[in-house]
Amino acid sequence: MNEKEFEKLLLSVQKPGRYSGGELNSVVKDKEKVKIRFAFCFPDTYEIGMSHLGMKILYSQFNEREDIWCERVFAPWVDFEVLMREKGIPLFALESRDSIKDFDFIGFTLQYELCYTNLLNMLDLAGLPLKSADRPSLSPLVVAGGPCCCNPEPLADFVDLFFLGEGEEVDLEVIDLYREFKEKGAGKEEFLRAAAKIEGVYVPSLYDIEYFEDGRIKSVTPKDGAPAKIRKRIMRDMDSSYYPDRFVVPFIEIVHDRAVQELFRGCIRGCRFCQAGFIYRPVREKSADTVNRQAKALCENTGYDEISLSSLSTSDYTCLEPLLNKMLLWTEPQSISLSLPSLRVDNFSAELLGKINHIRKSGLTFAPEAGTQRLRDVINKNVTEEEIFRTCKTAFEGGYTAVKLYFMLGLPTETDEDLKGITDLGRRIIDLYYSLENRPVGKSPSVSVSVSTFVPKPFTPFQFEPQIEKEEIERRQNVLKYSNTCRKVNISWHDSSVSFLEGAFARGDRRLCAVLEAAFKKGCKFDGWNECFNLQKWLEAFDENGIDPLFYSARKRDFDEINPWDHLDFGVTKDFLIRENKKAHSAKITPNCREKCAACGAACFGEGVCFEKR
Amino acid sequence: MKNVRLFYTKKGRMKFLSQLDINRLMTRVIRRSGLPVWYTEGFNRHIYINYAVPLSLGFEGEYEIMDIRLTDDAFEYEEALSRLNSAAPEGIRFLRAVDPVLPTKDIAFAEYEIAFESGNVFLYPALEKFLSSDSVICIKKDKKGRLKEFDIIPKIKSTDFSGDKPRLILSAGNEGNLNPAMVLSAFFEKTETAPVFYTVRRLMLFDAGLKPFV
Repeated sequence: MNEKEFEKLLLSVQKPGRYSGGELNSVVKDKEKVKIRFAFCFPDTYEIGMSHLGMKILYSQFNEREDIWCERVFAPWVDFEVLMREKGIPLFALESRDSIKDFDFIGFTLQYELCYTNLLNMLDLAGLPLKSADRPSLSPLVVAGGPCCCNPEPLADFVDLFFLGEGEEVDLEVIDLYREFKEKGAGKEEFLRAAAKIEGVYVPSLYDIEYFEDGRIKSVTPKDGAPAKIRKRIMRDMDSSYYPDRFVVPFIEIVHDRAVQELFRGCIRGCRFCQAGFIYRPVREKSADTVNRQAKALCENTGYDEISLSSLSTSDYTCLEPLLNKMLLWTEPQSISLSLPSLRVDNFSAELLGKINHIRKSGLTFAPEAGTQRLRDVINKNVTEEEIFRTCKTAFEGGYTAVKLYFMLGLPTETDEDLKGITDLGRRIIDLYYSLENRPVGKSPSVSVSVSTFVPKPFTPFQFEPQIEKEEIERRQNVLKYSNTCRKVNISWHDSSVSFLEGAFARGDRRLCAVLEAAFKKGCKFDGWNECFNLQKWLEAFDENGIDPLFYSARKRDFDEINPWDHLDFGVTKDFLIRENKKAHSAKITPNCREKCAACGAACFGEGVCFEKR
Repeated sequence: MKNVRLFYTKKGRMKFLSQLDINRLMTRVIRRSGLPVWYTEGFNRHIYINYAVPLSLGFEGEYEIMDIRLTDDAFEYEEALSRLNSAAPEGIRFLRAVDPVLPTKDIAFAEYEIAFESGNVFLYPALEKFLSSDSVICIKKDKKGRLKEFDIIPKIKSTDFSGDKPRLILSAGNEGNLNPAMVLSAFFEKTETAPVFYTVRRLMLFDAGLKPFV
């Protein structure tokens, strides 16, 4: 398609900047001079995908290699998709505008289950058969990485190969192996068998699954020499691990439109609902010098005036104060603001507040997750009410008036009392504000309570738990709503039917592939977007394939049941998850990794917090 | 501290950017260039930039103007231009840096070049005839969201159909700005012509005396 035609199309869609390419720091290479073309696909819109750190890291890292050209691909929004299909424009990569059909790799990052239909839609838009088995040639190879790969079974029929864990090393090992096999003219099956021997590579077609009559898994059998357990990969030394010194800087506004600096991977906390807290173990930190140097380069090369210090629980970084002191030396004169997401209530000091407050005042957000101390103990969110109040006091006295609190609804053992505890906490925070003598003058406080629905996830102690059903979710949302008597407390919650779908796919097995394909064929896409999600079509897709979604989401699983992800090894052992589950039911907490090792199994990687002196 | 007026072009892929996008882009271009610019001192500190007349998404511009302030009075304009150009993406070119002569509120007119695709150029005479009407009443929303009738003809200073592509000089600036997209949609609607694809390029900004704005 020529430039003029393309331009004409872009001018008739929303936000043409999503598709125009040409952003600062985007990488354009001579396609004749590269050996491997990699389409890095994010199965959601440009604004969401461009905010994702993992993609930025791998995009830059791949492009450092002369023989690889990695380009970005996002799911076109529905308006542009209509035009693409009408005009016969195949899915293209932003940098070259070439159709990705002829690339060597089509790599997806899977950040949430609700993007799965977009993955199918993107393959279809590229003009490729959806099923791995219907794509017999070596290229393009469809691969995927990201947190959802800790249970990739619902995508097993479509994706040739999954990367488990962190991609910096294993992705390149696979690319190198591919190049070797491509040059010697080998076929796809031969390649996949060889790739399965690389640690961190899961080739689903090399595993046969047998089921009991009641639908549970009977056995998982590897074939052709594939390993029985596939262990995830991690970067052992974060200081020497690759980090980009520049990001592609978008023209249009994206969700996280700022420089992002990673402090560490993993989380010491072990909140029992949190998948990230388990699958990214063990905690490995970067030194303050590394962080400072990398952050500075990023700001210089992008022109961003805001940098976010990002990690699962930023205030757990052991050298946060010295780091902030170092960074303020250059951020302040250059009017760069620092933001610290994921602060915890229990180690939030007035001094820290002063530091992030230096340049620009942003909102204050905390995640107590549950309304009562009992339930917080169940989920191992080791935060006390006293700490919440102390932090709010600090924040109010520091000039803040708006507090945002995150909670979950539908946690195991939750009662109506726990729900009432949420609104009660909000009201008492408002009361606290008015009880302070040195509160901000002439301002009104507000507490925004955001309540999401709990979805049990693989590799968490709650992976055995039933998810509450739609009617019950709605009943509990009403309990919450009617328990709120304070106008300054604002409660918002998520749609219950989306959580239901997420629940089925999070712990689903490969029989869901047929459901996914059927839903896609009915037109399901962008399921995470309210304006696109269509519950009716999904229910039909389940029904037509004779599959009950509640079998996956609403059933209590025995400890000895074989889960669809049990042959994947993310370090944490099933024994540990069972121990944690039992402790949850007796409301016993587990200290964080720095206080006491809980013998979760992540020490098998030989690095990180597991080997720190306690 | 001194005010500096920058003239730049917005072409190619840059046409897909809205004015808000351009502002974000320019802020980052300036930051990367390392120019000693002045920041506002309000609640949310940001680089002071004043755009003469915003350009719509989809339009190209040959004579775009933005004013900034340099905190170093002795800073060379040549150096500023070369630093800005090396930090700017393809499609944005800084052409001149000067001391502002007139305040931006003195901008009164803008010249636009309209282009239809080659298969539709036969519509130009009809457009010319349409624009020579005595009055064309259009409806637009005012700032309060109320629908308001107004005549576009008095806001068309002159038209030139002698070249390949028509050129229109339209009223511009804070008061009485007329967007060429409105002229074209009025043309399609009132003459019952099926709308065709067109591109717009802004060539020049003028003061009330039709002298190039400087």
